[in-house]
Amino acid sequence: MTEVMQISAMEQGLQGCPICTSVGSAEKTHCNRCGSKLHAGWANSIQHTWAWLATSVVLYLPANFLPITYTRFLGKETESTILGGVVTLWEHGSEPIAVIIFVASVLVPLSKMLVLAWLCLSVQFGSNFLLPQKTRLYRITEFVGRWSMIDVFVVSILVALIQLGNVMTILPGVAALAFAAMVVTTMLAALAFDPRLLWVSADKGDRV
Amino acid sequence: MVAESSMVCHECDLLVEVPRLEIRQKAYCPRCNYLLAANRPYAKRVVFAFATSGLLFLVLANAFPFLGFSAKGQERTVTLLQSVGILVTENLPLLAAVVFASIIAIPAMFLISIIYVSFSLANERSYPGTRKTLRWAVLLLPWSMAEIFLIGILVSFTKIVTIADVALGASFWSYVLFTICITVVVLHLDKRELWEHVELLRHD
Repeated sequence: MTEVMQISAMEQGLQGCPICTSVGSAEKTHCNRCGSKLHAGWANSIQHTWAWLATSVVLYLPANFLPITYTRFLGKETESTILGGVVTLWEHGSEPIAVIIFVASVLVPLSKMLVLAWLCLSVQFGSNFLLPQKTRLYRITEFVGRWSMIDVFVVSILVALIQLGNVMTILPGVAALAFAAMVVTTMLAALAFDPRLLWVSADKGDRV
Repeated sequence: MVAESSMVCHECDLLVEVPRLEIRQKAYCPRCNYLLAANRPYAKRVVFAFATSGLLFLVLANAFPFLGFSAKGQERTVTLLQSVGILVTENLPLLAAVVFASIIAIPAMFLISIIYVSFSLANERSYPGTRKTLRWAVLLLPWSMAEIFLIGILVSFTKIVTIADVALGASFWSYVLFTICITVVVLHLDKRELWEHVELLRHD
């Protein structure tokens, strides 16, 4: 690998447009070819990511502790949270589904928040530790984030179908909305984060 | 000055010179191995054909019963829109909006945008707003969640089958086909090539 080849666009005063892939001056705020807004300032990316992350952490709490569904069965009403639903599935012998829901609804959002926080911190401290791995981690985070919406869709299908009056009815809880908003905000956090900053800040060896 | 063929890696900011790709060739970033560009056979025709069929299947998915459910002698059938609408009547209109947008509205807007751009390219003239349309299509893509919705349906079935019988309506199968079409479109879209073609139209 030759060192000469490994020069980032940022160092050459250039930037690429994420929408149309054209290359232009790093000082431009809008793309020459397609007119899209570019990462206006490099410092803003980290601030936006932190802001969306904080919002998603706040939403994560009601999403997990408030009931996501109310089940009315023969006049009796029970409520269940996301984790409660996972436990019920496990007890009824649907272990694989319980695992899917646990991974999509609990593990993925939580690890996504931790990963993004770690990435933001390493940009701010100019760390060059495990750079390619961190880039890959970001790519995975960006890719899997959307899949957390599974639980929201499961709830909406259950609510739509199971409407038999007092015999058996499932109603949606506020947690479903909080959860959907949490998924959207973590997606926005991932979109706001600019993975190129990892390399740029490490090249400089200090904070951006 | 920067060569027309250069590209900045979206993942690691490396400035890369991308050579002209032969059919079935792909270009990866030499530093972080990110897929930069791909030249798939008949990409433009595949994109247009599958985007059109996908839109058609989405329309059909709204025209017939979507899912059916029966338990304790009672039966219930819902259409796709009814299944979203029930969230409004249950006092969660915002949730209904998120679900409606991610499974119907955004995928539909994405496909319509792609069809419009394809028309423009096929007729070799720039229709008004072609560039804006293409930009929106790329921006909307991560928010289209048809395939996740399908998995969600399958998961909810495993919860329901223990207490009731579930029936799959004609619209459900249309939605499955629609999801397959939109996936094929996404796999054959090459942002860089598409923008280059649209750019050429402008200069003619």
